[in-house]
Amino acid sequence: MDPTFFLYLGAWLKVFGVLCLPFFAVPLVTLAFPGLIDRFAKRMIAFLDALSGGALNLAIASALILVLAQLAVVILRYAFGLSFTWLSEIVIYAFAAMFMLGSAAALRDDAHVRVDILRPRFGEAGRNWIELVGTYLFLFPICLRLITNGEQGLTRSWSLLEGSRESDGLPILFLFKTLVPVFAVLLMTAGLSVALKAALRLTGKLPPAATPIEGETGGGHDGV
Amino acid sequence: MEFEIILAIAMFACAILGLLAGYSVALTLGGVALLFALVGIATGTFSSSFLIAFPSRIQGASIMQSQTLVAVPLFVLMGVILERSRVAEDLLHIASRLLARVRGGLGYAVVLVGALLAASTGIVGATVITMTLIALPTMLRQGYDPKLATGTIAASGTLGQIIPPSIVLILLADAVSNAASQASLKGAGSGVVSVGDLFAGALIPGVLLVVFYLLYIAAMAWLKPASCPPVTLAEDTQPLTVKEVAFGLGAPLMLIIAVLGAILGGVAPPTEAAAIGAAGAVLLAGIRLADEAKSRLAPLILAGLGSIIAILVLRNTMDLRAGVATISGANSIGIILTLLASLVFFAGVAAGLLVLRKMRQLLPALTSATHITSMVFLILIGASLFSLVFRGYGGDEMVAALLHQAPGGKWGALAMTMLVMFILGFFLDFIEIVFVVVPLVAPPLIMLGFDPVWLAILMALNLQTSFLTPPFGFALFYLRGAAPDEINTMNIWRGAVPFIGLQIAMIILVACIPSLATWLPSLAAN
Repeated sequence: MDPTFFLYLGAWLKVFGVLCLPFFAVPLVTLAFPGLIDRFAKRMIAFLDALSGGALNLAIASALILVLAQLAVVILRYAFGLSFTWLSEIVIYAFAAMFMLGSAAALRDDAHVRVDILRPRFGEAGRNWIELVGTYLFLFPICLRLITNGEQGLTRSWSLLEGSRESDGLPILFLFKTLVPVFAVLLMTAGLSVALKAALRLTGKLPPAATPIEGETGGGHDGV
Repeated sequence: MEFEIILAIAMFACAILGLLAGYSVALTLGGVALLFALVGIATGTFSSSFLIAFPSRIQGASIMQSQTLVAVPLFVLMGVILERSRVAEDLLHIASRLLARVRGGLGYAVVLVGALLAASTGIVGATVITMTLIALPTMLRQGYDPKLATGTIAASGTLGQIIPPSIVLILLADAVSNAASQASLKGAGSGVVSVGDLFAGALIPGVLLVVFYLLYIAAMAWLKPASCPPVTLAEDTQPLTVKEVAFGLGAPLMLIIAVLGAILGGVAPPTEAAAIGAAGAVLLAGIRLADEAKSRLAPLILAGLGSIIAILVLRNTMDLRAGVATISGANSIGIILTLLASLVFFAGVAAGLLVLRKMRQLLPALTSATHITSMVFLILIGASLFSLVFRGYGGDEMVAALLHQAPGGKWGALAMTMLVMFILGFFLDFIEIVFVVVPLVAPPLIMLGFDPVWLAILMALNLQTSFLTPPFGFALFYLRGAAPDEINTMNIWRGAVPFIGLQIAMIILVACIPSLATWLPSLAAN
């Protein structure tokens, strides 16, 4: 297919992204005017969480592909002395897709590690404020930076429909590189949902989250 | 002092304060770095070209295309599946039954199972929680001293970091090998450190630690017999059958030996061994759960296990290479047989997955593995932004200069690094320290003439000790969270003290006799 089509598509996606920016103010509006758009906010949370869930399913599928492809690599190399670049690339791509697509759901499900020494002492409201501030101060800027900084390289990659450097590799390096902005967008949607929940909890429109017990390391339960 | 250096130090301080607020560690590290970079760009002290490199760094060979780190999700999957299918739980039950009649037997069982579980999962939190839930109530009921019981459990849980194939050792190997290649660019050291080297290096110190723990419990059993009495079994307890012992104890042991042996023997790189480990875990879980699931797939899963042996035998008796020009008749039959065996193997794995699915354990296991993997790699992404900006401010040169000028020469520099890491271990996880601190301190230390593998093992032992140390040790937090209320926190802390002593003894031992860490890797290299 003609690469220029994709570049148009990309340009439109950018416009769409800019148009979506007002949504990032919704948590602040729910906080400033309690009750005004709560139902809309709750619907937004459901939609955003479903989006992370969809990405999680893709990540899980990548995990299965990773195991099976790596097993195939092992058997082919060990028993038959064969190796294929495309198969090794499937392994690497599935590996990267697993965490690039899974990070958003991990944020949604609070599976990312936190330092929990002082956390139990901040109280319910304090913790919600930290979520809100962290999301706006740290999460959104990182993701926006990733998207804007990667734009040039990605445009080049798509305009060439860049493939593997090896002759027997997969012709989809441009898709692999697209994982970075996809990761950033997914993380922002998950972050938006977290911020919305924190705002609703602060105004009492959502029941408080389970209190972290002292001696329990929050989401880091299954930490390494 | 220059403005840039002040900013670098301020950035580090802000990151630590930010982390204490309790927001996601990965995003705090990255976010603080980004804010300082923007301040630097605004004041003209920071070149924006450093930030431009960020997306390509994520895509590059250090994160998304890292050949080494592919082993991480595979080992995570292996651990999660063993845990979900209760293979790990059975292991503890059977080991404690076998050692029940000995004084201190439950303690021995916990240490041995901790070492085995650790080797199979490398997940500290999970190991400590599992053992606390299963072993602690039994130990207390049998009249164990709570201090000894909790200390043993917490210490055994941290074994997971030092005994290969632990996940943090893979991450550490990645960081140290980058540091070593940087140092060798500047003309120091050979510059090549692999995951296999680190696994080999950690084996002797890890096994010695297990021996130390066991000796300590034996000493307690001798000096204070009341603290760890033998178990009195209820009258109606059925004796263990041979089948139970063989499967519950033998099968996980075989899996671990196979995976470790393949890596240390140089048969397979860690990534490939990890894939075999994950497949092996699926097969074991399938067999373990097949009865409960009323599944008729058990024979197929057993055949899958058998096919591994068939492939091994065929490979070592015939020339199966399919790429060569002429293939003799016998060899082509061998190739066909091996192909069939491979198909059976994949069918066995698929059957194992189906059994897990039927028991509703497949999706939770995969979700949990995806969460853990995402957690690790988001920290890697955040930490790499942090190092990028810290480097941009010349922070790495500052750390190097600090270490070069440390009082007491290279040993002073080492002691200083270890102390800082030990303290950081109180509030940062192993992963964050490996991704943030090791890239800063390892290159100068290697330049000073320390062996990279030895250095990495010392760091791992040091952090492991830090996680055991009250009041902030991670292992103690996990234990506290899962322990019954009648155990007070003071008991947990006092129980950990003797084990901290053993840890420190081990650190000094490795520091004084470097060959404990470097002998096996050099042997494996030849």
